Amino acid sequence: MADTMTIPANLAAKAKEKGWPDDLVEQALASGAGADQIIGYMDQGVTADQARGFLAAQAGGGPELSDELKAAADLAQWPYELLQQALAAGAAASDLMNFMSMGVTADQAREFMAQGGPPQLDLSWMQVPTEWNTRARPTKHGLTLEAINIGKYGEIPDVWPYHTEMPRGAIPIPGVESMGYSIFEKQEVWADNCAALYEEAIQRRWRPATDVPWATIEPLPDDVERAICQICTHISEKEQLEADVLGRWEPDISYGYHEVKLYLATTIFENARAVEVFRKRALSNGGGLGIQSPGWGFRSIVDARNFTEMLTIQMVLQDSLTLAQYQYLEKYAKNPAEQYIAAHAMQDKARHVAYAISHIKYVMMHRADRRDEIMRYLDKGEGMMLQDDKRDPATKAAFAIYFGGGKANINEGLQIYNQMRRRAVEQYLARLKWATIERADRLDPGLKKYIKD
Amino acid sequence: MPSFPSVDWFDAIKDIVNKDPDYRALGTVDCIVGVKVGSKIFELTFDAFECTTVREAAETDLRDMDFWLEQPYDKWVEMIENIKKHGKADLSHTLNTIDLSMPEGLARAHDGYRRDAFYRFNQSIQDFFNAAAKIDTKFLAEAAVA
Repeated sequence: MADTMTIPANLAAKAKEKGWPDDLVEQALASGAGADQIIGYMDQGVTADQARGFLAAQAGGGPELSDELKAAADLAQWPYELLQQALAAGAAASDLMNFMSMGVTADQAREFMAQGGPPQLDLSWMQVPTEWNTRARPTKHGLTLEAINIGKYGEIPDVWPYHTEMPRGAIPIPGVESMGYSIFEKQEVWADNCAALYEEAIQRRWRPATDVPWATIEPLPDDVERAICQICTHISEKEQLEADVLGRWEPDISYGYHEVKLYLATTIFENARAVEVFRKRALSNGGGLGIQSPGWGFRSIVDARNFTEMLTIQMVLQDSLTLAQYQYLEKYAKNPAEQYIAAHAMQDKARHVAYAISHIKYVMMHRADRRDEIMRYLDKGEGMMLQDDKRDPATKAAFAIYFGGGKANINEGLQIYNQMRRRAVEQYLARLKWATIERADRLDPGLKKYIKD
Repeated sequence: MPSFPSVDWFDAIKDIVNKDPDYRALGTVDCIVGVKVGSKIFELTFDAFECTTVREAAETDLRDMDFWLEQPYDKWVEMIENIKKHGKADLSHTLNTIDLSMPEGLARAHDGYRRDAFYRFNQSIQDFFNAAAKIDTKFLAEAAVA
């Protein structure tokens, strides 16, 4: 029958192009396939070997094995029927030759072929009993974290029992390893404003490289340039420290309080932005970096043994001072670029303080017994910070020269520096008062002196 | 030409910033700000990307605001004229600079937490007042607000 089969011209041309011999094409036509259908197979990349195997399988017998294939099968100890089975399943003879020469055993080939066919998927996960039909709706602020905190997903437990990275609201499975979290109590990390602060931080971001009007910076007198460069060194150092410290605490906070984890991530990013922008300022106007800080205050933050202790010292005490520094740097900026930097760093820092003081208030509302503990953290933090003051004349002098407009006006600058300290202490006390902590009487004398008048 | 201080004047500013993509690009603002000019008090509500309402308020309303801005009438006039002259507040007339220049501060509040909204949203509030450069302002006689 094949001898009398006529191959249409377009099919013959395609067969030649794709390397299908005439006898195979005739066999395919004889099996009932149309010319267009066969051309379609060819265009899909079906090889001559694959087609031969398919046709042989259709005919009910095994495809014919070439002498070369038989010789390789003898060497590799593959039974002929396995080869026929593989060819019938669509394997190319050349591929089978390769497998056998590579040392693939007959058993491995059988196992591989057994994996063919549709996968048997376990879809029991689709019956997971999480809260379903959840339809959070965007607010005026967009689809915020608070907007999706609905139903069970918005229940923030006082104690989170899971040690894994399971998201809040998902269903746990047994046997998952602990991720090493160590904070499982809400009162250890929570602040009622953390989700809103996260969204605020995301919305109010800025880009130092292009947003700061760098071109407005003009040469400054040498002493003023040295002063701002020392200030930039000081700020870069402490912002980097804050980023490092928060970065270490992030992995300790369990997933039940993801709002806190997310907010801290933005804080770390903002610390990085401050490091970036103040370093850029130092290196953009003919100056350079100054000398490092003694780091006594840093130690009290790094050495904190619990999260609330770290927040109390870093983000309530130290950041209150830094926030006041940004306020004064904005006022005494020498050009629009410095004004822009200080004003935007001020916004970021105010959020850090807002989170921390809100956390302290939450602790006071839920664990009033921790009041004395927090007082002791503040004792330690204030003391260590004042040790820095004693050992770091450079930073104080730099602020005074910058505020005064030069070394000649350093006394005037020192008065402004003291005003800055006074404001920082007053605001620090006011924030603590909001958090129900009356600190004025217990304030370290080294800080009290700024407000005693 | 709206008169300062009046609801009309703040409404005119509100309408400008609510249509300004640069204001929106500064990000969300969520706070209630008071503006105290002599005996007159105005309440500005900022919600997400816009200033939603302006109304005249009473002294007792200050307690419900995050903070209020207060300075002598002549300083308000100076600030707004400076903004008009430079297109925005110059380095000596930003809200923060004025705040630091006054012993009592420009931004005042009944608690230390809510007052920090002045810093958190500082550039948006500044942008709001900077929009005064885009309108002509008629200043009321000081006696009218005493």
